[in-house]
Amino acid sequence: MGILSKIFTWWDGGTIGTLINSALTGEQVGTDAQGNRYFRSKKPGPLGRERRWVLYNGINDSSRVPAEWHGWLHGAFDDVPESHLPPPKIWEVEYTPNATGTPQAYRPQGALERGGKRAAATGDYEAWAPDS
Amino acid sequence: MADRYLEPDTPELRARWGAFAFSSTWEEKAKAAIGRYPEGRQKSAVMALLDYAQRQVGEETGTQGWLPIPVMEYVAEYLDMPIIRVVEVATFYMMYNLVPVGRFHVQVCGTTPCMLRGSDDIMSACMARGMRVGHTTDDGLWTLTEVECMGNCASAPMVQINDDNYEDLTAQRLDVVLDALAGGGQPKAGTQEPGRHTVEPLGGATTLKDMVTENHDYRGEW
Amino acid sequence: MPKVTVDGAEIEVPAGATVLQACEAAGKEIPRFCYHERLSIAGNCRMCLVEVKPGPPKPQASCALPATDGQEIRTDSEMVKKAREGVMEFLLINHPLDCPICDQGGECDLQDQSVAYGRGASRYDENKRAVTEKYMGPLIKTVMTRCIHCTRCVRFSEEIAGVDEIGALYRGENMQITTYLERAAQHELSANVIDLCPVGALTSRPYAFEARPWELKKTLSIDVSDAVGSNVRVDSRGREVLRILPRVNDDVNEEWLSDKARYQVDGLTRRRLDKVWIRNKAGKLESANWSEAFSIIAKAKPGSSIAAIAGDLVDCETMFAAKQLVNALGSDLLEGRQTGLDYDVSNLAAVNFNSTFAGIETADVILIVGSQVRWEAPLVNVRLRKAVKNGAKVFVIGPEWETTYPATFLGNDLGILNDLPADLVSSFEKAERPAIVLGGAGLAKGALAPLIGLANKFRLARDGWNGFNVLHMAASRMGGLMLGYKQSAGIKDIIAAHPKVLLALGADEVDFSAFEGSLKVYIGHHGDNGAHAADIILPAAAYTEKDGTYVNTEGRVQYAEKAIFAPGDAREDWTIIRALADTLGVSIGFDSFAELQATMIAEVPALGEEGLVDYGALPSGGGNASGVIEAYPIKDFYMTNPIARASETMQRCSAELLQAGQFAEAAE
Repeated sequence: MGILSKIFTWWDGGTIGTLINSALTGEQVGTDAQGNRYFRSKKPGPLGRERRWVLYNGINDSSRVPAEWHGWLHGAFDDVPESHLPPPKIWEVEYTPNATGTPQAYRPQGALERGGKRAAATGDYEAWAPDS
Repeated sequence: MADRYLEPDTPELRARWGAFAFSSTWEEKAKAAIGRYPEGRQKSAVMALLDYAQRQVGEETGTQGWLPIPVMEYVAEYLDMPIIRVVEVATFYMMYNLVPVGRFHVQVCGTTPCMLRGSDDIMSACMARGMRVGHTTDDGLWTLTEVECMGNCASAPMVQINDDNYEDLTAQRLDVVLDALAGGGQPKAGTQEPGRHTVEPLGGATTLKDMVTENHDYRGEW
Repeated sequence: MPKVTVDGAEIEVPAGATVLQACEAAGKEIPRFCYHERLSIAGNCRMCLVEVKPGPPKPQASCALPATDGQEIRTDSEMVKKAREGVMEFLLINHPLDCPICDQGGECDLQDQSVAYGRGASRYDENKRAVTEKYMGPLIKTVMTRCIHCTRCVRFSEEIAGVDEIGALYRGENMQITTYLERAAQHELSANVIDLCPVGALTSRPYAFEARPWELKKTLSIDVSDAVGSNVRVDSRGREVLRILPRVNDDVNEEWLSDKARYQVDGLTRRRLDKVWIRNKAGKLESANWSEAFSIIAKAKPGSSIAAIAGDLVDCETMFAAKQLVNALGSDLLEGRQTGLDYDVSNLAAVNFNSTFAGIETADVILIVGSQVRWEAPLVNVRLRKAVKNGAKVFVIGPEWETTYPATFLGNDLGILNDLPADLVSSFEKAERPAIVLGGAGLAKGALAPLIGLANKFRLARDGWNGFNVLHMAASRMGGLMLGYKQSAGIKDIIAAHPKVLLALGADEVDFSAFEGSLKVYIGHHGDNGAHAADIILPAAAYTEKDGTYVNTEGRVQYAEKAIFAPGDAREDWTIIRALADTLGVSIGFDSFAELQATMIAEVPALGEEGLVDYGALPSGGGNASGVIEAYPIKDFYMTNPIARASETMQRCSAELLQAGQFAEAAE
């Protein structure tokens, strides 16, 4: 990821302005499993609270923020998730971003992408046959 | 209040009570009860007839009596009214027993005045003799029920056993009554307090004292 | 006429009105659960509390309080608001919070009124009461924990249906609504308690968990299961009719509906004709397409040798289209009385229910001849019961059936009409509004003319009153007779004419063996007797699937609307007949449904106006009656038409309520 793409694109991680701003005014507090970096402002923002933001490692898609960091980002708790939340349970599945619009999106049976086989739409009545 | 339910309608019940009919004594009373109402209003006699039917069942079984479903159907037919209306009446009033009871149906009043005067002791005295609320003892002698106010608050606590009230009870006095009943005797009904006749004030009048001896006119003293 | 003041506005109310009715007249909404306009007043839900002066300084139940002159009623005071909130809180104490799984959700009085008049929250945190489910038959599903003891169902079965079978057992908090020993409710109007129930305690068993009210498309329609022409609302979702509910029409069905009309709907999705069938040389039906079927009919070259028989459920438009076709081909062979009745129909006033349903309530002597009213028209039976409650005397000629009111049975022999018993004669002579109800069994034995004679003798038709009534059983009968579906000798004329082509318009009660040489074309919607006998089956639409005009037995013209589309290849009947006309090379004068209706109304103007048709005065009649009525035409209330016969619910009702009873009787 060269410096040029940082200057000319906005969809892949922070733009150059955001990166500079983050480095100057922000303080990195952690990184999640996908490598997204989480920042908070060194000084309180205009509302008198500290501001929190994320720099994505890759595509800018807010659904890539896992649940635990989502809570932190929205000010639901003060501490970073590692110290605030109970340790993950063994039955918890790994967080996956919203797949809508991607090839991994869910397709119901009968969708063209899954073969497009549908039950005949005549099941709502029972037809008469001469032998019955 | 005990949970009431109808005795299930089984073939055995039908076999036992299916042929129920008023005996001549009760029939006479039933006719008299119906006769109290105008022509075509015979249904009004349903409560009396259910009582007579229950008493006849009691005579036949040597208990206080109860109302099996075939008997209620007989009463409904007797009065030419829908059976469901008869069952409505029978299930509404506590005086109609819907399940078999023992020879003596001990109904302990547990409402506030009786409770304050010690109905809990009365209840435990009954329990001590092996009775359980809502059940008949194995020897078929006692059925225990807790009931709401019977209107004897001035001589609380009280129990009603079959047709008689026994008032001003203590656990000991109740034991005397129950022993007498079990022995086949007929203890004095009403108050069990020595020296008390009915529900007159214990230890003499405290108000309206001038009325004790004569009909005193208080109006001038208001 | 007492004058009362409701919330400061003075209004005059009719004498005998209650405070609740006065408030309604003043346009104030009074919440209520137990009060119902058509039932007696119970006053046990206490929801209708209002403040009334003069009177005790406490809220009063307005449903049971007569309105008197000078009353000052307040429905908007703080006291009333608090009283309603209190009552609602008490009602909800023992009401489960299971609205999300309750079928009444969305059309529940308790839900609506607790939103409008209740508190936001309950202060009750004890255990709630629970009541065991009660079996009330194949139509009524019970969840008695939800019951709020309004006793509407008890009052309905006692007062309207006349069958005392629902009651309230035990007392206080332990009160339970049940049928005697949890037997099935056994009458033809049992399902009306479902509509009456203000909560979800009594819900529809066949419709359980099918749909929510807001998902349904509501279509106004007319019931065809009997000749009463009950006004119904068809609730459909997608391509399926899910339920049928009564509409209020005080002249016809009040707000009740017979169980058959309500629950034959599941028959609409079973045994449906959805493609064309043609009988091959081997005598077996083979599926085919429309052009093959039409070409066979064209090849038969009917010429003027064509006849049409209308079934019991068809609408006037279908009958008129078929009539145009038959007439265009030069034939006049039309008949609707499938079972061979041949009563005189030269004057329709003689075969009409002249007193009207609302009118029969006011009759004071009623003679029923050969009609098991309870099965032939349950809602007319309700009217008769009302008449009896108002003091009418009822006499019945025909085999005994269980009336829901006191009635005198005069035996099966129609000969009694020639020499009426003295008490009947004297009551008829004294009566101000005497009435005769003649049913199918009487018509079959030729009792029509003698009864018209009696009607004239006892002046049944007098000022403002015509008490001569014929009670039909087919929804299409009066319409058919008006459109000319009448032969002087009934269906025998058609049999004698040996038509080359016979159009059976949903005719399932005809004995098709009499039409051996004819090409039998069945145009209908269900695979029933007609389809089994037919040579060609053309699939058509059922009554919920087409617009149509129906005339009920009192000569009331009513329109039904189309709720859903017919399944598969099935088409609306008139389009089939229109296409058939093209095939046969004749013009029948319409290309659209609107044109068809316009042509029909031009020919029979009475069909263009909703409401009662005026058939004129009674003809003269007379002659001796003879014959014995052995049995009534309806053998099984739940199985009278092809839709009901296909319905699983009706089959269950028939098996559980009727056959089971017969078995039990046989065993005794």
